[in-house]
Amino acid sequence: MLKRFLSERPLRLPHIKPYVPRPSDPSIFWFNSERDDIVSDVVRRICETHESDRAQLEMALNDAAFHEIRRLEKQRDDEARDRLGYWRSMIRRIGKMDDSEQRRVLHTIVTNMTRDVAGNFDPRVYRFARRAVPRLIGGVMEPRRVTKDLMASEPTSLERVLKVQGDLDHLRYLQNEGSLVFVPTHSSNLDSIVLSQALEISGLPPVVYGAGKNLFTNPIISFFMHNLGAYRVDRRIRVSLYKDVLKLYSQVMIERGYHSLFFPGGTRSRSGMIERRLKLGLLGSAVEAFTTNRARRVDRPVWFVPTTINYALVLEAETLIKDWLMEEGQARYIIEDDEFSQIDRWFAFFRKMVGMRGACIIRFGEPIDPFGNRVDGRGGSLTPTGRAIDAGGYVERRGKPVADAERDTAYTRELGEVLGQRYEEDTVLMSTQVVAHVLFRELVQSTPGMDLFARLRLRGEIGIDREVLCQQLGEARDRLCDLEAKGRVRTSDVVKEDTPGELLERALNFWNGYHDSTAATLEGDRIVIRDPSLLLYYQNRLVSFAEEIASPDQLQAACEIENLGVHR
Amino acid sequence: MSLRVGVVGAGGFGRAIAQASARNGHEVVVWSRRDRELPDPILMSNDISDIRDCELIFLAVPARHAVSAAEQLGEVVDGRHLMVHISRGLIGTELKTITQVIRDKTVCRRLGALAGPLVADALADGRPSGAILGTGFPELTEMVREALGGAGLRIYETRDVIGVELASATVGFLTVVLAYAQEVGVDPSTLAVLATRGMVEVSRMGQALGAKESTFMGLAGLGDLIAAVAGDQRPELRLGRALGKGAKLTSAVGEAGAYVEGIEVARHLMEHAQRLGLETPISSTFVAVSEGRIGPDDAIQALMERRVGKE
Repeated sequence: MLKRFLSERPLRLPHIKPYVPRPSDPSIFWFNSERDDIVSDVVRRICETHESDRAQLEMALNDAAFHEIRRLEKQRDDEARDRLGYWRSMIRRIGKMDDSEQRRVLHTIVTNMTRDVAGNFDPRVYRFARRAVPRLIGGVMEPRRVTKDLMASEPTSLERVLKVQGDLDHLRYLQNEGSLVFVPTHSSNLDSIVLSQALEISGLPPVVYGAGKNLFTNPIISFFMHNLGAYRVDRRIRVSLYKDVLKLYSQVMIERGYHSLFFPGGTRSRSGMIERRLKLGLLGSAVEAFTTNRARRVDRPVWFVPTTINYALVLEAETLIKDWLMEEGQARYIIEDDEFSQIDRWFAFFRKMVGMRGACIIRFGEPIDPFGNRVDGRGGSLTPTGRAIDAGGYVERRGKPVADAERDTAYTRELGEVLGQRYEEDTVLMSTQVVAHVLFRELVQSTPGMDLFARLRLRGEIGIDREVLCQQLGEARDRLCDLEAKGRVRTSDVVKEDTPGELLERALNFWNGYHDSTAATLEGDRIVIRDPSLLLYYQNRLVSFAEEIASPDQLQAACEIENLGVHR
Repeated sequence: MSLRVGVVGAGGFGRAIAQASARNGHEVVVWSRRDRELPDPILMSNDISDIRDCELIFLAVPARHAVSAAEQLGEVVDGRHLMVHISRGLIGTELKTITQVIRDKTVCRRLGALAGPLVADALADGRPSGAILGTGFPELTEMVREALGGAGLRIYETRDVIGVELASATVGFLTVVLAYAQEVGVDPSTLAVLATRGMVEVSRMGQALGAKESTFMGLAGLGDLIAAVAGDQRPELRLGRALGKGAKLTSAVGEAGAYVEGIEVARHLMEHAQRLGLETPISSTFVAVSEGRIGPDDAIQALMERRVGKE
């Protein structure tokens, strides 16, 4: 009951004296004063697209009732008891309603959905969160440093673990000139927290983002999420009107200049591979925000910031790879029982991370316009040879700007391709991933003809001489550095600077003591593979490069590994 | 409302596109490095910047010139332009399609690939014909139909751009194979098996690269192959026949009278497919034939001895 109450009516602090934003405040500080206007804009535009055609309107209402009845019948909870009756009665009446009643029902449904999605922003909660969250996590990482972390001048433990890369000055300039849309890779539920912190320490603005409604059932997380501008996404709802609401809400926010964040992968990468197939719905909302503004002759640019979040150790690695292997990735879209929900795993994870150099790297890539072009220091779009062009040309037809949803869908597909490529180029390969790849390649090479699942059962059966492994590690690292010189990928400082022996030791240290079973252990002079599934997860980050970093005698094994990533 | 149409390349296809567009009442500028005689009111230019004011651009150069043409266009086009290419071929060992090349070298995003059984003479004369346009942009299809279409030309549309480009490139190779087979005297039934299974093979390779099977079985693939076998006099037929007569690859290419990329494309595709664990019996056999490693009898025997599977 409490969970439902919190997820539907998140707590807000009482307003004694309303906060008047200052010109220097980030755009999100204006959100509360615009909230009702945003909601009514979304409702009006969705209703307008459905109201002109009775058949389309009736279809939308039937679709809503059908999917909601199906969902609520499965749920059998308090919400089902309250709402099933409404939808059942409605589906019986749709055909008998006249036009005006159908429009009224549509308006009610869309208004309720939009209000449920729309967030809230409280500057007091924001100020508290930006001070408290890093120190809270720092306290978990290093309890002995709590007092130092509380002194504002000292970098917190979280700040020391987190390394931010990219042209931050450029982004800081652009934040005042248009809407920034951060589009990161997604590996862990910690991504939002880590990214918020990275934005904070880089002097970049807070962003609006969609958070799964399941996160709102925890009263503390719900309180923060709701009051920091996050909008709620209930992934259980399959109604097409609801998807329209989500997309248009995001679009309207970007049109109005709110900086945004969404994960184009849609869900955490189950395999550990760099995302290649992206979900285009929300991405399209940002493209349409630009084209809609231009078609209305509003010159508010939108820039995408491809961002990679790179962990040497992933909190939920074991659950994610298991899920991928069970091919249940889709059925278990929202995993609720993984390491993210186990507080002891948080402690173990953070403590392991804090002792290791270069444990988490956030890389903000070069910003691009909605059509995949690089931009100059002032945000103007550039051709591959550096000639300045007007991005507004993409919206024109016969010299006039026009709105065209099909055209924008095609632009979004193109942008998805560009982002997939940028993710590869901006991924920072970490020590654990490189070591896991070389070990896994050795496993594949020593078991010719065996299928993936048979290989994953070989726990403790395959050992490699430490010296041989270090030599292979050194060679693979050198080839990765060659690829890095060509701009194809990036490696962390430790991967570049460590000796192969140090790199191996570092990876073993990361794995040992955090995961339930370790990936590999040193036994005498041999490295013994203990958990091939974990190795697979970490090495999957390198599947696209497997052939290029293999020596001729490892090519067959590398080719098999690369084929794992063909249907990403 | 008339369009301004730009055509890059003044070969057979470039001229045919220019003539068809002019016949439909559009302003046409043709860019070429060399001066060519073109009927009025088509404008001929050696200055690529004359293409800047054209909203619709046709890239009509052989695939091997596509990179340099795209680089030059990159200096004048921007987001306003819509571009269609008609090149048959893939670039380099990476098997880049021409649209990928255009995307890399220019900021033009509204792109398409025109392919299928369309031949230059029919287009120039306005004789009945058909083609397929692969593009994600319906407005581009509308514009191409407006520029080229008319009572005599049916332009179908598909979103499978990579499928159209791969099918178009691989049909070139299959045409060489079939012309060779005809020349060495195989029976019509063997020819049919070779054509059908060849199309299945290239379609399998195409699917591994992201194309749809249906595109290979449509105008871009099978449709184009039927036009080739029916004898539309393309150079691939001459190359296949010359190889069938026993000529070495280099002299056969000379006899074809035009640069033919089919075999090179097939070799790269085959290597890629084999890395993915796909079987490529017809491509592998014919690449061996073209390199003179085996003769016609051994080639037929190698293919006939393979285990027969399900269709």
